[in-house]
Amino acid sequence: MAESDLSSPSLVDDLYFVLHDNVTGHPLLHSRLTALALAGAILGELMLAERVALDDTTNPERLYATVRDIDGDPLTRGVLGHIIAEPYHPVGTWLLFFARTIYSDVTARMIAAKLLKPPVKHLFKQQPAAPADMNRAAWPLARLNLAVQRRKPPEAGDCVLLGLLAAAGCAQRVLSEYDPRFAAAATATLSAPLRKLIAQTKVAVGQAVISRR
Amino acid sequence: MSLTQQRPGAVSAALAEDRLGVPSIVFFVISAAAPLMVVAGVVPTAYTVTGVIGVPFAFLLLGAIFALFAVGYVTMARHVVNAGAFYAYAAQGLGRTQGVATAWVALLAYNALQLGLYGIIGSATEPLLVDWFGGAPPWWVIALVAWALTGVLGWLRVDVNGKILSILLVSEIAIVLLFDLGDVAHATAAGFSLEGFTPGALFVPGVGAALATVVAGFSGVESSVVFAEESKDRLRTVPIATYLGIAIIALLYAFSAWAETVPTGPEGIVKAAADQGTELIFNQAAAHLGSAISTIGSVLFVTSSIACMIAFHNTTARYIFALGRENVLPSIFGRTSARTAAPIAGSLLQTLLGLIVITIYAVSGLDPVTKMFFIFGAFGGLGLLLLLTITSISVIVFFARDSRGETTWRTRIAPGLATVALCVIIGLTLGNFDTVLGVEPDSILRWILPGIFVVGIVLGLVWGRVLKSIRPEVYANIGLGAQAVNGGIK
Repeated sequence: MAESDLSSPSLVDDLYFVLHDNVTGHPLLHSRLTALALAGAILGELMLAERVALDDTTNPERLYATVRDIDGDPLTRGVLGHIIAEPYHPVGTWLLFFARTIYSDVTARMIAAKLLKPPVKHLFKQQPAAPADMNRAAWPLARLNLAVQRRKPPEAGDCVLLGLLAAAGCAQRVLSEYDPRFAAAATATLSAPLRKLIAQTKVAVGQAVISRR
Repeated sequence: MSLTQQRPGAVSAALAEDRLGVPSIVFFVISAAAPLMVVAGVVPTAYTVTGVIGVPFAFLLLGAIFALFAVGYVTMARHVVNAGAFYAYAAQGLGRTQGVATAWVALLAYNALQLGLYGIIGSATEPLLVDWFGGAPPWWVIALVAWALTGVLGWLRVDVNGKILSILLVSEIAIVLLFDLGDVAHATAAGFSLEGFTPGALFVPGVGAALATVVAGFSGVESSVVFAEESKDRLRTVPIATYLGIAIIALLYAFSAWAETVPTGPEGIVKAAADQGTELIFNQAAAHLGSAISTIGSVLFVTSSIACMIAFHNTTARYIFALGRENVLPSIFGRTSARTAAPIAGSLLQTLLGLIVITIYAVSGLDPVTKMFFIFGAFGGLGLLLLLTITSISVIVFFARDSRGETTWRTRIAPGLATVALCVIIGLTLGNFDTVLGVEPDSILRWILPGIFVVGIVLGLVWGRVLKSIRPEVYANIGLGAQAVNGGIK
């Protein structure tokens, strides 16, 4: 089942689209916070596919892989490979670790999947990687807006998406209507590990804001 | 089975690359204390307002007390989350309600220290503008420019870049030492007097006022433990950086404060400081070392003041953010600017307060240096003393429950001695608050300002109780800072 769940739509791709302009590809969120949110998304994607899990017998709870075989795209393989190699770090550590490199990895994966056009270098400035298909790029946010409007919690993947957006402090900026109580209610429908992932992302974002660097 | 104790892997190694060593933390700590601003701004003002000659001894004495305080402070930082915020210590040592009260005192103190800086920037810049353009606008115009700059940079979340900061700081310290040498080489006919270093020169009427001002000169040192999470070695880096920071500040400031008295003699310093104010050390330098070096010093004085403003603005905004994040302040303060990742609400609040204070002083025509910079500085210094005292008591109470393998010296004796010393200094400061304010001893104003802290504490205690009864889930997380948002799920 892992295979089918990991194929599109990907949580990471969806989050990337929500955090960038549909037409120009310009980022809407600060790069450090974007990276933390995307790191949360890749872990969320793997949790939803039941390829990684939290060990609640340890404190802090360590993240471990439930599969032995590494397959999928290079980004997923890389992330899984790290988690299999060092199965003793808590989610917070993994968020910081993956946030270091995830942005370029995600962009590369999306360009390879023809979801993004490669960035164009002009003489003086670089045009960021823009969505190949505006409608595809607008779709995740449209789903979220629709869910908020109807006050009906969306399916799990979109609940994680909404939770990560709120955790990154960006929900208010991108959603056409933002209701913190609805976001909290949607998050509450998720399993405990996913809720912890979202909470840890919010912690990491808060610490990134407080940090002097 | 502790799985986290395994050999460092790729993950730890990669994350360790971003971590800070002792020099970086010392730089951050001392730059917030802005050496040239203290030596050119705080010290002459302290001589002028208090008339106390023992300012050099005051720096040494407070350095010793800060070091004593730091023993327990850095020890507890190893065992608590959100180290670096005083209220976290109070919350985890004395109780959450007391933590809220401490948070309010900290907000008052840091805001005062930040706002006071707008009073010094005018007189720092004026001589340069007169020198270069033959005239200068009123102080409040310069203050407003600095205010706008600080506000915009705070909003954009621009911290003064670490490299620029290091260069500025090293040049500042070099120029301060050069000025000191110039002073020392031009002693009065009477020769050197070490009177400034004698306790007798400090413990005269006005001692409390001098101490409160000198405390403000140390502010920033306490921020070292903020970096506990980001330091290379949690157990060693932060303590070493803290003691080093305190030692550098105490020795540099004490020597410089003394050097300023050498060309005038101890008996002439108060008059010279009163006549020349913040220009004193630059006039001395111009006479001893030539105008070029003096001008470099003046320029660094301005950059030092601005860097200090930005540092305090951002520190305070982050403090407000941490409090908003755990809902001790309205949760709007826990929001960030999506585009710049700045703690936006805290930053804007700071900027608004700055405008109000500058406007009040500009309209009422009060002197920006002695009435704004100095009073806000002393008020903030008094708040800082309160915070240090509360923190020392918290350390004792925290370890009384469980010493967690720490020694008695670290958990009881040093914090105990620090508490006693700090209480004595608070007593002396309160006794001299009329001198600080420059009012008559029977003026009601001398009690109103310290009273603001009492009001802050009472309101904080009340608010803590209210939170406990109406929002127990928020109350349970007080003191956890950014971690608080994780507390809901356990």
